[in-house]
Amino acid sequence: MSAEPDATTKLFFREAIVRALGEEMRRDEGLVLMGQDIGAFGGPYREFDGLHARFGSGRVRDMPVAEGAMVGVGAGYAAAGGRALVSITYMDFLMLALDPLVNYAAKLRYKTGGQLHAPLVVKTTAGAKGQGVAHSQCIEAWMMGVPGLKVVAPSTPADAYGLLKSALREDGPVLYIDHKRLFPMAGHVPVSESCVPLGVARVERAGGDVTLVGHSWMMVPVLAAADRLETEGISCEVIDLRTLAPLDTAALCASAGRTGALVTVEEGQLTCGVGAEIAFRVHEAVPGIRAARVGAAPAPVSSNPVLEAAVVPDADRIVAAVCRLLRGKP
Amino acid sequence: MTLPDPALLRSMMLIRAFEASLMARKDHGFQLLSSGQEAVSVGLCAALEPDDQLLCSGRSIGPALARRLDPNRVLAELLGKEAGYCSGRGGRGHMAAPARGFFGAHAVVGGNLTVAAGVALRLQGEGRSSLVACMFGDGACGSGALHETLNIAAIWRLPLLLVCDNNQYSVSTPRAAALAPARLSDLAAPFGIRGMTVDGMDVQAVRDAAQALAATVRAGGGPAFLECLSYGFTAHSTSSRESRPRDEVAAARDRCPIRGYTEVLMRSGVVDRTQVAEMTREIDIVVAAANRFADDAAFPSPADVLLNVG
Repeated sequence: MSAEPDATTKLFFREAIVRALGEEMRRDEGLVLMGQDIGAFGGPYREFDGLHARFGSGRVRDMPVAEGAMVGVGAGYAAAGGRALVSITYMDFLMLALDPLVNYAAKLRYKTGGQLHAPLVVKTTAGAKGQGVAHSQCIEAWMMGVPGLKVVAPSTPADAYGLLKSALREDGPVLYIDHKRLFPMAGHVPVSESCVPLGVARVERAGGDVTLVGHSWMMVPVLAAADRLETEGISCEVIDLRTLAPLDTAALCASAGRTGALVTVEEGQLTCGVGAEIAFRVHEAVPGIRAARVGAAPAPVSSNPVLEAAVVPDADRIVAAVCRLLRGKP
Repeated sequence: MTLPDPALLRSMMLIRAFEASLMARKDHGFQLLSSGQEAVSVGLCAALEPDDQLLCSGRSIGPALARRLDPNRVLAELLGKEAGYCSGRGGRGHMAAPARGFFGAHAVVGGNLTVAAGVALRLQGEGRSSLVACMFGDGACGSGALHETLNIAAIWRLPLLLVCDNNQYSVSTPRAAALAPARLSDLAAPFGIRGMTVDGMDVQAVRDAAQALAATVRAGGGPAFLECLSYGFTAHSTSSRESRPRDEVAAARDRCPIRGYTEVLMRSGVVDRTQVAEMTREIDIVVAAANRFADDAAFPSPADVLLNVG
């Protein structure tokens, strides 16, 4: 019996990932998964649980600690007619693999005049969760300016499932970013197989006074801030970017055009950040827009819990930024 | 040992004449030449089958022509013309013609090594006896990418033939000042990978070694490492200053692989002086035609700058 079209089932975030990977592995026999500890161990966050047993060590490959080679091998395998997902445990380590991702995979179709392309997903995990200065960073903004590279960062199990499936059907490289704090989160995922298109933001809740924009784990403090602002009589329209490259500029401008005010929220640095890019794009289309950015303090993210919290944005700071913007007071 | 082969001579002569004609052009652009190092590309390609894939560094002209790409389209690509293999987008640094067994160049030193391992993984999964050859300079031997590639290729027994075209310099830095191992093929030993070092100015020595190693790779023996000791006749690139001792360059020119192999072929009676002269004339015609082809070809339209980006 087939499920109702809108029927959903409750899955943990990591389970949504396992399901997406399993379905795409079944659908595309050329798809190979590569990474550290993704085999019988099941992935650092159990987000590869059971896949090794189902698909074998030829298609679910544990790799040595060699991020550059992991992405390079994945890119070469993909370019030669396969498809690869490479798991980089923490986004901080992606820095070791930028050459094959940025210099090779992202440019491959262009530089070969369309002869080759690299259907490659680099899946990684960003964000602060007590692990210190080289295990906590959110550097997605660095990647948004690479021509040929798409960047996605879901905040819900449903989007993790649907965006990962879409990423695994792309012709070119996609950077897919989870957040450590999202893995234990549960949410409703469609029962029937489905994809979430890349490049489409979601209006998480409608409102009239200000547009709040975030992605990934930041959607949690953003929504908490919107709840609190509601009690103070400020109606927030909340947008989850879902895809960072290409940005859904049209959706952002439409919302900000209605509300007249924009607050961007990101866990990474503000300088040349996601918010800076969004604010300027909206400013170009919506002259006179009032805008503010919330992001990390300009400091490394310590494993020290007091200092970590001092760096990373929270609902208090988002509320304060909105109030400052709308009322001109702290 | 296989017999002397005039095709090897012709292929080396083509590369030399092609590059000379390129350098005679005012619009030659930024190039890394293979002149002096022709024997490495030509000897290696003599050991490759049509279904194999060759990857190389940004020093791509020798490898591309040795792999029998069309000189017309190679020159068009080097000059940025739409008729080039990559529609003029790749240039020397990223020349590619995968349908012709030339998976392509990648101009980041060491950058193609891990990619080549990935291509080899794909071929291995398809269950064919094809192999992937990857050429790189001695400079790449200082990169972590080589260590990572050797390790993974050994563990997975990938059909990968790594070929180091050791021209003794990383731009200006002599190999001895940059790399600790006595022989660069020694780098393969800790991984249990078979390595050989041969005279890269001797095309037959390169071919014979490449054939021997390719046979073990094809037979499922896993990767192999071939170091070819070569020397470039010109500076690192068309934009870099010559820093090498003059007498060292002169001594290398005395070991010219083309002159040396011509003598081998003539001594063994495979060709005579007339046949060599005829070969020279025929190559001049091919090279002149390539220049005409590239001259007649159009640059891409600026309106197409976004083509094939995403």
